[in-house]
Amino acid sequence: MAYQKIVKTIPVEKREKLSDKLLNFILKSKKESKMPGDLANTLLSQWQLGALTTEAGLATLLEAAVLLESEKTVELLEQELQLVDVAKAVKEME
Amino acid sequence: MVKFGIEFVPREAYWKTIFYAIQAEKRGFDNLWITDHYNNRNVYVTLTEAAIYTKKIVFGPGVTNPYLVNPVMTVQSLASLDELAPGRVVLGIGAGDKTTLAATGVEMRKPLTAVVETIEIFRKMLEGKSVTFEGQVFSAKGTRFNFKPRGQIPIYVGAQGPKMLETAGKIGDGVLINASHPKDVDYAVGRIKKGVSEAGKKLADVDVTAYTSFSVHEKPEKATQAAVPVVAFIAAGSPNVILERHGVDLKKVDKIRGALKAGDFGQAFGSVSPEMIDAFSVCGTPDLCIEQINRLLKAGISQFVVGSPIGPNVRKSIDLISEKIIPHFKK
Repeated sequence: MAYQKIVKTIPVEKREKLSDKLLNFILKSKKESKMPGDLANTLLSQWQLGALTTEAGLATLLEAAVLLESEKTVELLEQELQLVDVAKAVKEME
Repeated sequence: MVKFGIEFVPREAYWKTIFYAIQAEKRGFDNLWITDHYNNRNVYVTLTEAAIYTKKIVFGPGVTNPYLVNPVMTVQSLASLDELAPGRVVLGIGAGDKTTLAATGVEMRKPLTAVVETIEIFRKMLEGKSVTFEGQVFSAKGTRFNFKPRGQIPIYVGAQGPKMLETAGKIGDGVLINASHPKDVDYAVGRIKKGVSEAGKKLADVDVTAYTSFSVHEKPEKATQAAVPVVAFIAAGSPNVILERHGVDLKKVDKIRGALKAGDFGQAFGSVSPEMIDAFSVCGTPDLCIEQINRLLKAGISQFVVGSPIGPNVRKSIDLISEKIIPHFKK
């Protein structure tokens, strides 16, 4: 729920790129055991439905990326996407 | 029309493999093959999840063997999957890998007979009747299910040697050949044709499937870089007769074998030559891959399987195959 609130603050034009980058972090992560089963199932269902760029889908991706690759995710938000407030909110979630 | 399959080795978490399986279905692949090795995630757990998260892709173990999983349990697993995903299930069965079996203390006894007997038991059990069978490797004594299987399931035989290839042509609905080069496919198709003709069938009745080591990227050097580790293992595991067929330097392969045995992967991968890449992979830009797939089609395949490594970034490579390669063959 908290991640859904954060996602609402992300400009629409940056969502597709964010979704793509977060997916890369998640799929390439070696820390896959950190992924909770229910979050993985949510991710797969949303992917099946083509919903990973929706607010709900982005919230799932963001939560998973923070769990698996926290530093990379914050760096992406702060530097590449210039989403400083989002990065700050994510850090507070940790 | 050629079918496109994709192979995954479930060495990563289930959710990653299933993510790619969903993607493969979305991107137009026809078949999904999951490898079966004791040291990876379980093939049937993976396939069950694939059945749940996909709707039309055809899937199956590619390949299982009759030694680690008794034939009766294999047919039970497939019949159960066929209830979960009606009409979308196929069996890939081979003799297994000697080294892997040895690690589990299981002897590979009479491989050809074991596969033939497994197929016989498999088909009889799917008829839903009580099966009594006395083979040289396996037997069944009034074995039957307490449920009614939906019906027959296509069987693909994983084959390498001449006898297994002939048998696969004779009794299989499909043949899985571990080959990425037309020379190897050409050889295999010749043997399959012999079996097919003995059974009074046509080659077109059998889905001749090339299981390739595949790597695609817009930059060819990146595709090659990803293919190198897989090619090193394939070259090291290939008998000399195959290496000679491709004009591969045997001394270089010996060097790779030694380095792999010593755990020196840098040395092993560094010894992989362009000839080895050409012989043991379909690799390069989308256009180069199309050219190589065309050569395999001319040699007689009817299904092309994209196998490990797929590319430097699996997700991006699946997209690339879908955008630039599959449409070329499915206009």
